[in-house]
Amino acid sequence: MTGLGSGAFLGQFAAGSLTAAMPLLLGGLGEQLSERAGVLNVGIEGMMLAGAYAGFAVAYSTGGLWPGLLAGAAAGALVALPMLLLCVRWALDQVVVGIALTLGVQGLTALLHHFAFSTSYPRLPAPELWLGRFPLDYAALAMCLGLAGLYRHTLLGLHLHAAGERPVALDMAGISVSRLRGAAVLATGGLAGLGGAYLSEVSAGVFVPFMTNGAGFICIVLAMLARGRPLLVLGGALLFGVSLSSATALQLLGVDVPSDVVQMLPFAVVMLLLVVLGGGRLPAALGVAYRRGDR
Amino acid sequence: MPFRTAALAAALLAASALTATARAAEITSLAIMTPEQGTDFGWNQQGIAAAQAVAKAHGLKLTIAQGLGYGDVRATLRELADDKLGLIIAHASGYNTAAAEIAAETSSRVAIVDSPSKLKPGLVADYTLNGREGAYLAGIVAARVSKTKTVAVVVSGEPPAWNAQSYGFAAGVRATDPAITLRYAVIGPAAYSDAAGAKRVTDAAIAAGADVVFGQGNGASFGMLQAVDTAKPADGHKVWFIDVIGDKSSVDASHLLTSVVWDYTPVFEAMLTDIKADTFGTHGYHLTLASGSIKLLPSPNIPAAVWDEAMAAQKKIADGSLKVEETYDAAKVHAIMTSVAATP
Repeated sequence: MTGLGSGAFLGQFAAGSLTAAMPLLLGGLGEQLSERAGVLNVGIEGMMLAGAYAGFAVAYSTGGLWPGLLAGAAAGALVALPMLLLCVRWALDQVVVGIALTLGVQGLTALLHHFAFSTSYPRLPAPELWLGRFPLDYAALAMCLGLAGLYRHTLLGLHLHAAGERPVALDMAGISVSRLRGAAVLATGGLAGLGGAYLSEVSAGVFVPFMTNGAGFICIVLAMLARGRPLLVLGGALLFGVSLSSATALQLLGVDVPSDVVQMLPFAVVMLLLVVLGGGRLPAALGVAYRRGDR
Repeated sequence: MPFRTAALAAALLAASALTATARAAEITSLAIMTPEQGTDFGWNQQGIAAAQAVAKAHGLKLTIAQGLGYGDVRATLRELADDKLGLIIAHASGYNTAAAEIAAETSSRVAIVDSPSKLKPGLVADYTLNGREGAYLAGIVAARVSKTKTVAVVVSGEPPAWNAQSYGFAAGVRATDPAITLRYAVIGPAAYSDAAGAKRVTDAAIAAGADVVFGQGNGASFGMLQAVDTAKPADGHKVWFIDVIGDKSSVDASHLLTSVVWDYTPVFEAMLTDIKADTFGTHGYHLTLASGSIKLLPSPNIPAAVWDEAMAAQKKIADGSLKVEETYDAAKVHAIMTSVAATP
């Protein structure tokens, strides 16, 4: 049976929602980690795009999705390296550096794609599933719970919190703020790169230039509205995915409303619910560079 | 006195002609700006190919600024304007505001898309194009080939060109088989490079029963093609993809049913002619089956009888006995998609 009331359609609705949510969850968790440590990582869009390209290129050349995912994470961390040096070590403006990184990666990946794939546009086979989903989906959910536990119950979580709230107190306690923030920035790059690799390998099965299409900026919004709570990033990402699939379903049903209104649905729903449920506040030292000796 | 007046008029005409000739002689170069690399088998590639053809034919120096993205291109426009080029073709609907601004600021000639109201004689021309006539033929093919009697239209946005083709395609489907169910979905407001979103939406359309997908997407089209390629419909039927603007048969011939192929060369040629005649910016440009600037891509995947039916319709369109309505209005597109009640 086919059609809008069929099991196939409802199954696709659920699968589409989850597949759309996963890159946002991975990137959102990464952004949240960086923000908890006090670094506003605006370059996450570029890190995701680098991960998307590297992940696809390696998966295509090796024939395996997992090596591609690892390569995507590594590429994201590599793009995060300049952020570490320029923003954490040399205290440059985090927003300016983040935007520059994104623009640079957009150009670089478009160029690499031009030389490697632009005449053939190869595509990857559909990923093999485990219990109906790609195994990384389960790992991402576990990671979400793990990060929630880390932030709440471990000393490292407390240090991250201090790096974002009162870095000077952390410094006085003998912990290197630069090292901690640097590690957070690199981990953010890795998670964002992983999210990008998921996007090209699992969600699309192909790489095209600029394919993140603003997903990194949605991750920033999710992380900010979730106010430091990983489970709210998960909720926001899932809600966004469900809203995207709902918008598609409404259009396929022929609901006669302007497409712009339908397309606005995911953004409006997620922002509304996270604003209502989010509460809390952003870290006090978010976006503020730390120099030793500053008070 | 009449002699003097006639002499004055003749002198003015001669001066005007000389000025026009001088202007024509000034055109030694042109530039094209594209949001993506000219290797997308679509909008960007066809645009650059046409600019190259025109530049070669007229011995013009061509500057290609490709892969500029969908953001603010004012800096690039100013750089090109500084080079005093004869014509700058801003080949993306997202560039029309910036290009018109820079044209006014630097007095550089620009050609923009999707903004017929921004025409400015001598300065800004609009080439809002569409292949609605070709899309109508594609609609005939889709209606005849569909086994599930459900056909989907997936678009990466609703710019005027996409709307006109969506409407033309739907009109072709309706005229061929009014009982066919049409499903329509927009990936996002400007999701031209959103291959993942395109795959998700196309997957949903296929799950809703569609076995022919008419996709308009630029880079996003590759996500649609991936969805068609990896589809496993419950009924086991094959799913086909109909593309627009370019020819992707070298990428995936086994799932490509056909394509509405655009050739911008006659349009860019006409722009040069207008510049020489000093009529640039006074009117728009069109793609037509009759001029050969639009064609339906032949494919072994189309049954011969269906191809013949489409070609018969092409003849009627070319001789004017069949008109394909030109509409850029998204609301009218939505209306024709749902004009026959679909069974949920």
